[in-house]
Amino acid sequence: MKQGTSRAWLLATPVLATVGLLLMLPYLNIVTMSFRVPSTTKAYAEGFTTDNYTRALFDWLYLETLADTLKLAAIVTFFCLILAYPVAFHLARTKSRWRGLLYGLLLSPLLVGVVIRSFGWIILLANNGLVNQALRAWDLPRAALMYNEFGVILALVHIFLPFMALPLMGAIQAIDPRLEEAARSLGGGKKEVFFRVLLPLSAPGIQSGCILVFILSCGAYVTPMLIGAGRVHTTTTTVVQMLDQFLWPFGAALALILAAVGVICVALFGFATNRFMRGQA
Amino acid sequence: MTQLSIRALEKRYGEVPAVRGIDLEVGEGALVSLLGPSGCGKTTTLRCVAGFETPNSGHIRFDGADVTDLPPEKRDIGMVFQNYALFPHMTVRENLAFGLEMRRVSKDQMAKRIADVLSMVQLGGYEGRYPRELSGGQQQRVALARALVIEPKLLLLDEPLANLDAKLRDEMRFFIRSLQRRVGITAMYVTHDQAEAMVMSDQIVVMFDGRIHQIGDAHAVYDRPATKQVANFIGASNLLEGQISAREGNHWRLRTRLGDLLCGGGYEPAIGSQGMVMIRPEAVALSATAPTDLPSFPGVVKERHFLGNLTDYRIALPDGSEFQVQDAAHSSFEAGAAIHLAMPADRAWLLREEPA
Repeated sequence: MKQGTSRAWLLATPVLATVGLLLMLPYLNIVTMSFRVPSTTKAYAEGFTTDNYTRALFDWLYLETLADTLKLAAIVTFFCLILAYPVAFHLARTKSRWRGLLYGLLLSPLLVGVVIRSFGWIILLANNGLVNQALRAWDLPRAALMYNEFGVILALVHIFLPFMALPLMGAIQAIDPRLEEAARSLGGGKKEVFFRVLLPLSAPGIQSGCILVFILSCGAYVTPMLIGAGRVHTTTTTVVQMLDQFLWPFGAALALILAAVGVICVALFGFATNRFMRGQA
Repeated sequence: MTQLSIRALEKRYGEVPAVRGIDLEVGEGALVSLLGPSGCGKTTTLRCVAGFETPNSGHIRFDGADVTDLPPEKRDIGMVFQNYALFPHMTVRENLAFGLEMRRVSKDQMAKRIADVLSMVQLGGYEGRYPRELSGGQQQRVALARALVIEPKLLLLDEPLANLDAKLRDEMRFFIRSLQRRVGITAMYVTHDQAEAMVMSDQIVVMFDGRIHQIGDAHAVYDRPATKQVANFIGASNLLEGQISAREGNHWRLRTRLGDLLCGGGYEPAIGSQGMVMIRPEAVALSATAPTDLPSFPGVVKERHFLGNLTDYRIALPDGSEFQVQDAAHSSFEAGAAIHLAMPADRAWLLREEPA
C-alpha cells in the first residue's frame, strides 16, 4: 500500500515539474523583480526596495488605469454573458441535426489566434476599414470604431465569447427538462420558468463563465494594444510600456498588483454569487 | 372534482404514430391507470392531457371545456414525474409555494395550505430541507404534495413509483391511493406495473401500440381480458386454440386438439369459427383421476416448483405443448405423475386477436 502511494506520486512528477519550472519559477522571478531597484543600463541595479509598490499603489495615474482595466473586463464579461446565454441555451437544448455544426461554429474563433483575430477586427473597424468604407459609400459620417474602448470591448467580447458559452452550455445541459415541465404544470409561464427555475439553476455556469472571461479580459494584452493602438490604456499595456522604458521592476510590481486585484475581484464575485447556488451540491 | 374526457386522440412523431385514436372518459374523483409496455402510448396520452404534447387530432375536455389548445400552465393540473422533478435550488417549502405564488395566493393562505398538505403526506417539519437532503420516498411525497397543494382539477402521475425500491413501492401504492380518495381528486396514473395498476385503480386502461385494448377494473382485465395481448401482459396465462362448435347456455364449446372444453367470452363468436381461449394457471384443478363434472385433459407432470405460497407445475399435454398450473403450496404431485387437468368453464375465456 505504502509503495503504491509513492508510485502514484511518480505519475504526478511530470506535471509538477512543468508547473514548477514553467509557472512557479517565473512567478518567483517576477516577485523578486518587483522588489529590485531599476537601472537604465541593465535589467535592474543592486539592492532591494519597496518603491515600486508605493508608486504603483499611490500614483493616481496607475490606479486609474487599473480601475479602467477592471471596468473594461467587467463590461466585456457582461456582454459575453448576455450574448452567450441564448446561444448556449439553444445549443444545450436543440435536437437539430445541425447541432454539431453549430457547436463547431461557436468554437471556431478558437481556431484562429488572438493576433489574427485582432487584425481581422482592424480591417473592419479602422478609419478606412470596411465599415467606414460602407458608411462613406452611403454618404454617412465616419464612425470612430477603433482606437477607443468601444473597439477593444467589441473585439474582446468576440474573442472570449466561447469561454462564456461553454460553461453555460454545461450548466444548462445539466438542468433536467422535466423541471421546466414541472414549473409549467404548476402554472408558471415562460417568464417565471426562466427567472425562477432556469436562470438560478444555470448559476454555476454563469459563475464560472464570468470568472473565466473576467480573468482573461484583465490579462488581455494583444487586443487592447492592437485595437486601442496606444490610445486605450490598460494595466497590461502599461506593464509592457515599462519594459520598453527599462522599468522592469516597476512593471513586475504592476503585473503582480493586477493579478492580486483580479484574484480579489474573483473571490468577491464568487462569494457574492455562491448564495445563488443553494441546494446544488 | 373534474371529469376528464378524451375523444379520438391521435399523436404522431413525424410519421411514427404514438397514439392512434383514443377515447376515454374518467369520472369525477376516479383514478384511472394507463397500463401497457413501454412504447404503447400511455405516457404520450398523459402528456397530451398535461399539455406538454400537442395532439395531431382529437379533443381533451375537462368538465366539458375543451383544453386541447391550452398550454400546460393554463390547464390547472398537478403532475408528479417519475424522477420527481423537484426544484433542487428550492427548499421543500419553496417547492410547494411555487404553484401557489403563480396563483397569487396570499401569504397567510399559503402558509396554511403548505402546512396542511405537508401533514397530509406526513412530512411536517421538513419545510426547510432541500430535495437532495431527502430520501427517495420523501422526495416522492414532496412531489405529490407540490402537485396537490395547488388543488388542481386533475392529478397526473407518470410512473411515480418506478424509481423506488420494491418495499417502499408497495407502501406508496396504498398511500397515494388513499390520499387520492381522501382529497377526492380525479387522477390519471401511468404505469407498466400490472400489480400497481390493479391495486390502485378504479379503472385500468390497457394499451398496446397506441391503442386501447381494454378498459375495466382489476377483475375484468384479469379474468376477462379482451385480447391475447391483454391476457399475456397481465399475469401468466395458458392459451388453447380450437374451433367453436356450439353455444351452451352462457358458454361456448371449443373443440381443441386435446378435447372439448367450455368457455366464456366477451364477444359473440360465429359457430364454426376459430377461437383462442385463455386459462389462468391457478384456475385449473389437478387430480389423479379424471373429474366427472368438468371437461378435463390428461397430462404428465414435467416440473414442480415450490414457491412458498403456492406450487408451480409445468404439465406436458398429449400434443407436446406445455401447460402451467399453480396449485396450493403443499399440493404434491411428483414429476412424472400422470394427472388430469380440470378446466372450469367460468375461468376459461375467449380472446380476440385485435381490440374491438
